[in-house]
Amino acid sequence: MIGVIDACFIIDWSRYRHRDLIKGLFDILYIHEEILAQLRSEISISFTSRLLAEGKLRLYPWTQSDEDEFLLLRSEIIANPRIPSLERPDLLCLIIARRANAILLSENIGIHRVIEFHPRYRNVKVWTALETLEHLVYRGLITLSSEEEFMRFVREYEQDTNHIFRKRRIETCLKRLRTWLRR
Amino acid sequence: MLVDEELLRRWALEDEEAREIRRRYANWEFIKNQPPRIRAALEYFIERGDRYVASKIAGVSLEEFDELRRKASIPVVI
Repeated sequence: MIGVIDACFIIDWSRYRHRDLIKGLFDILYIHEEILAQLRSEISISFTSRLLAEGKLRLYPWTQSDEDEFLLLRSEIIANPRIPSLERPDLLCLIIARRANAILLSENIGIHRVIEFHPRYRNVKVWTALETLEHLVYRGLITLSSEEEFMRFVREYEQDTNHIFRKRRIETCLKRLRTWLRR
Repeated sequence: MLVDEELLRRWALEDEEAREIRRRYANWEFIKNQPPRIRAALEYFIERGDRYVASKIAGVSLEEFDELRRKASIPVVI
């Protein structure tokens, strides 16, 4: 499985006590060099450079064709006031995810909205940390026997990063997890 | 590119719900005591939830803004 990681996600995930779990979930993670340049703290830079050194994270080879797609996508969504401002780095990650048929790891609400309405991007899968934790369970990287145990991982993530997952998102996730636990 | 009305209504409700949560959890005393630019950026983040633009208002990097956001106890609502 291939993943693409955006700046906010890696800034948050690098502060999570179980951050190393992500290494088992993806064969390759891509990052754009402009995303890498946004990292400033020791904690996120050291986590990211460790992933790069281990070959788990790679710089995405951005092309002119990707750049052309960026200009097109930007022009298509820039005029929509309901889409929170999507800046260049956010869109680069979305374009990479589509081109590489990868999962985009992003908690940017604008990105989640683009895939809800944009015909070319509708099939791109975007995971927040919650869905990432959920898939860690499916891959056997988190072993648990109950929803409560899963929620302990979720609460730890929320504490470490000062995030709050919407109730509806958690309920949807728990519904899938319940089915998986009963298998 | 058009977005259908039902989707827009749902997004508006989600935005309002997230804004309320950020307002409720925010440490307003900390925010009030910040220099004007940082205070404006934190208030913008509470309203819009956009870390990237908030960091530009504050004149700091994305990650430096995120540190300020955590100090101000403003959650990312997703």
